[in-house]
Amino acid sequence: MDAPAAGPAEPAAPRALMAPATVLARCATGIGGLDDVLGGGLPRGNMILVAGSVGTGKTTLCLEFLVRGAERGERSLFLSVTEASQKLIQNLSTFEFFRPDLVSDGSLVFVDLPALYDKLGLEHEEMTSDEIDILIRTIRDLVQTLGVKRLVLDSLTSVCYRIRRDEAIRDFMLRLGQTLNQLGCTSLLVSEIGPTEGRYSMHGVEEAIVDGVVLLWNTRRQGDILRVLQVVKMRGTSHSRAQYVIELTPIGLLMAPHLKGGRPEGA
Amino acid sequence: MADIGERLRGLPGGSAAALKLDPREYADHYFAVLNGTLRDLGSETDAHVIYITVTNPASFVWSLAQALDVPASRISFVDVISHIIMNYSNPLPNATYVETPRALEEIMLRVDYLLRKYPHPRSVVVVDSLNALAIHNPRELLSEFFHIFLTNLKSRNVLTLILVTSDEEAGELERMLNLLVDETVDVGGGR
Repeated sequence: MDAPAAGPAEPAAPRALMAPATVLARCATGIGGLDDVLGGGLPRGNMILVAGSVGTGKTTLCLEFLVRGAERGERSLFLSVTEASQKLIQNLSTFEFFRPDLVSDGSLVFVDLPALYDKLGLEHEEMTSDEIDILIRTIRDLVQTLGVKRLVLDSLTSVCYRIRRDEAIRDFMLRLGQTLNQLGCTSLLVSEIGPTEGRYSMHGVEEAIVDGVVLLWNTRRQGDILRVLQVVKMRGTSHSRAQYVIELTPIGLLMAPHLKGGRPEGA
Repeated sequence: MADIGERLRGLPGGSAAALKLDPREYADHYFAVLNGTLRDLGSETDAHVIYITVTNPASFVWSLAQALDVPASRISFVDVISHIIMNYSNPLPNATYVETPRALEEIMLRVDYLLRKYPHPRSVVVVDSLNALAIHNPRELLSEFFHIFLTNLKSRNVLTLILVTSDEEAGELERMLNLLVDETVDVGGGR
């Protein structure tokens, strides 16, 4: 039997205006408002810089990202350089979104990096290239062995403080990013910057390597301080570049549009 | 004076209304609005009222609400004035405090917080009042705030009521508000 003659070509299904040709898999942060800003979440496997000065909410944002992930069955790892894990967990327990069982059942894992340095024998004040290799391999092994899908490094600044040279930092970040991406692990790297800094990291090379930058800062309006968040870069997705005022509430981070009242920036 | 409570109960979720108070009968109208918003709307099954206090501290409104037998579980306050008048020593358990009426984004965030924390089929947000917010904020900022705030609450099916006392100063803001609300309820009677 002959095959039925082909009729007129079906018109292509309408696509959303400005929709990208390919949509990358998302890692929903679970943070109120942020996923809307990102069009559904962070592109899975991306390495993101969370940059801001002290008291802007970087660590809390990162912790919520991990808790929300662990709740969804994605094992989450917090690599802490600046604060002891016990203290972090203690602070976290003041939030209603935190569930201690996620820590006890191993869904949310905390590792103190200074203890790891000691265990690995990384003793030089400035890491040698061999030591950097060991550090990357150790992180890779942790992620692979535990099946980690979300990782936070708090802070990248403290790690880079021991790497120091721009070329070595660039190399460390490129290799870390590739490793985590291959393992399907989405990561947030905390970058500590001064309140008036014109860049997103201590050395200025970090923001060029990462896939995205989320910037947090304090701003003043008539003497009152507001915490502001802006996604300034995110590879693999279109995203809002608007500024949002944030609030760290017991149920998690919330966002509202930053009002301008018709005034241009800096007015 | 017409039964304001009955009129407010007839307003659907997702709508916004300006409640117009006459300055010559302010005390009567203000009490009628409190009665209508706190007692009548607050007593509806599954209703939850989020009352934003800028004119008076939450403790003042709460004492009136208690006199009207409104249960604490039916009302939450976003108190925007107690901090700035240094009257913050005895915070209410059902209130959240914003440091200044100039932090308009904080007001949006606190309301968002309460809506998420206490989800109810019938949520009502009361802004008391446009005039008090206008004392602390420039007109353009306030216009932007109300546009975003009301649009957001409408999309979440929240009924929003904004108290406005008509006077010459408020004229321009009242015209702005008229563009954003679905209806204006004259507390003294008529629509």
